[in-house]
Amino acid sequence: MPVVLKKSSRWRVLAAHIGLIIFIGLTLFPFLMIISISLRPGNFAGGSLIPHSFSLEHWKLALGMSYADTDGNMVHPPFPVLLWIWNSIKVSLISATVSLVLSITSAYAFARMRFRGKGTLLNGLLLLQMFPSVLALVAIYALFDRIGDYVPWLGVDSHWSLALAYTGGVAQHIWLIKGYFDSVPYELEEAARVDGATPFQAFVYVLLPMALPILVVVFVLAFLGGMIEYPVASVLLHDEQKLTLAIGSRLFLFNQRYLWGDFAATAILAGIPLTLIFMITQRWLVSGLTAGSVKG
Amino acid sequence: MASVSLINVCKSFDNVSNTVNNVSLEIADGEFCVFVGPSGCGKSTLLRMIAGLETITTGELRIGGKRVNDLAPSERDVAMVFQNYALYPHLSVAKNMGFGLRLAGVAKEEISKRVNGIAGMLQIERLLERKPKALSGGQRQRVAIGRALVREPEVFLFDEPLSNLDAALRTQTRVEIAKLHREYARASTIYVTHDQVEAMTLADKIVLLHSGAEVETFGSVAQIGAPIELYERPNSLFVAGFLGSPKMNFLAATVTAIAPDHVDVRTTDGHALTALVAPDALKVGDRVQFGIRPEHIEAGTAGAAHVFTREVQWVERLGESTYAYLRGDTHAPLIARLSASSQVQTGEQLALYAPPAKAHLFDSNGRALERLAV
Repeated sequence: MPVVLKKSSRWRVLAAHIGLIIFIGLTLFPFLMIISISLRPGNFAGGSLIPHSFSLEHWKLALGMSYADTDGNMVHPPFPVLLWIWNSIKVSLISATVSLVLSITSAYAFARMRFRGKGTLLNGLLLLQMFPSVLALVAIYALFDRIGDYVPWLGVDSHWSLALAYTGGVAQHIWLIKGYFDSVPYELEEAARVDGATPFQAFVYVLLPMALPILVVVFVLAFLGGMIEYPVASVLLHDEQKLTLAIGSRLFLFNQRYLWGDFAATAILAGIPLTLIFMITQRWLVSGLTAGSVKG
Repeated sequence: MASVSLINVCKSFDNVSNTVNNVSLEIADGEFCVFVGPSGCGKSTLLRMIAGLETITTGELRIGGKRVNDLAPSERDVAMVFQNYALYPHLSVAKNMGFGLRLAGVAKEEISKRVNGIAGMLQIERLLERKPKALSGGQRQRVAIGRALVREPEVFLFDEPLSNLDAALRTQTRVEIAKLHREYARASTIYVTHDQVEAMTLADKIVLLHSGAEVETFGSVAQIGAPIELYERPNSLFVAGFLGSPKMNFLAATVTAIAPDHVDVRTTDGHALTALVAPDALKVGDRVQFGIRPEHIEAGTAGAAHVFTREVQWVERLGESTYAYLRGDTHAPLIARLSASSQVQTGEQLALYAPPAKAHLFDSNGRALERLAV
């Protein structure tokens, strides 16, 4: 530590550490609880954190495998969990990619071009994204229902239409990327222009590489948003084979039959792709790439 | 290599007033031209118009005899060094320097050959693999200059390239830029600065620009000429006061006598002084400004001809010389550069000799009268 601390503040540091450890424990507890539930036999939500008996039955079901219970009966997986996860990933990837392309280009226009009504449009975007998409559920359903009459693959019960509905949330991404573009000195693009670049080349070769951290952030946010979204998906998707994980896992929890164990295993399984995405992208999630471009 | 001509060029950002007003000038092939002026005089705007980063409101810009008003920067074959270097932070030094060539579709081997050649000349070979953030200010400046040199453009543009360097590095880089221009590039160069030392030392031709209200009344250009010409024959009070450090002294005076080869004046505090200038339309009784540079003032004896006395308010001893700050007509003091051995003290009345041959005279409009003794 570079700064010398007073004696009294060492106690404060110690107290802060204890407080933080307790806080981390609180955050981790639900996660550990879910792991525990998924690893013990039967479908009970309660019980101790460390299971008395150990069973992989819920994991087998989640992974699409059957198992024989204590009476020798074969128990078959109730739902196609892996397919749901794949559906979620597919929809999220499509919507994240399209969102990224749309928000990059719009953000460039808002950050670098001068046109009439720019301020109004930007504020409009900010305002629109404040309304939760739940408010538009009826409209979204009606829209895709009608579109489906003419373009069947873009109707209700289609992953494309769900992805398109998710892509509607680009407003916040535009704001995020625009803010980052604003922080990149325009001089760099001017230098590129004098170096012989067209505006598009200056954008692709100079601005985009420098904005990489924020582009990754936006992609991850959009992907995450798609993975966990519930209301819109619940309205647009009905076919059990087409469900995304978020709505599919609701099926584990009937009023008469709460499959807590299966639900827990599925939940952890669903967390794996998200964790992977974070692990792959985290080295780009550091900013500071612009440091050193100009005086500093 | 190409000449650059500006013909009645104006720039207006708001369609009301001109930031750059009616600039006409000719920069010959291979010439080193410096735009200098106080801040806000539009010198950077003028440079950016030549680069193609700003549109030209009215007037015509020619590079190599070709009208380029409507050409994109990439089509003008100019290279520019920015004040903040503007290096691409995500690219290595070598890639930074080769960026323009890569866009132009030059073969990889050729790019690396040229980059290495220039890097050798600028002594930055060992930095080629580094990113800009790992470089010091001076090194970044070299890379920025190298990036411009590699492209072998027709015209070099420098926008205050040294203003972010410390004093020692600034002097060193200034000398290097001058050397580069003389030995290697020989391309037409336009260099923007607010530092008159850079202007005086680098330029073949100085373009001194007005700022503020004078832009509208007189046009942007105050005077164009070789550095020594601007120093010896400033055409206005503004030019006379801008070039030279410390500034030229001005004494308010009234014309007392006129001869074909000199003008006698009397200062407000009653001292008779003479300037060897052509009187033109000057009449006895006209109010004028008598100008004399600090380095031309000599110690004199009170009562002798061409001598004035003033109270010393402050003394600076620099070792090689002594600056005496004297009470001026306005709040700005008069400054005299005296010999290092001068024993002048604060508070004393100092008699100073203003050699008529070194004196300048400006009429009530601030226009200079032609000097006859240079």
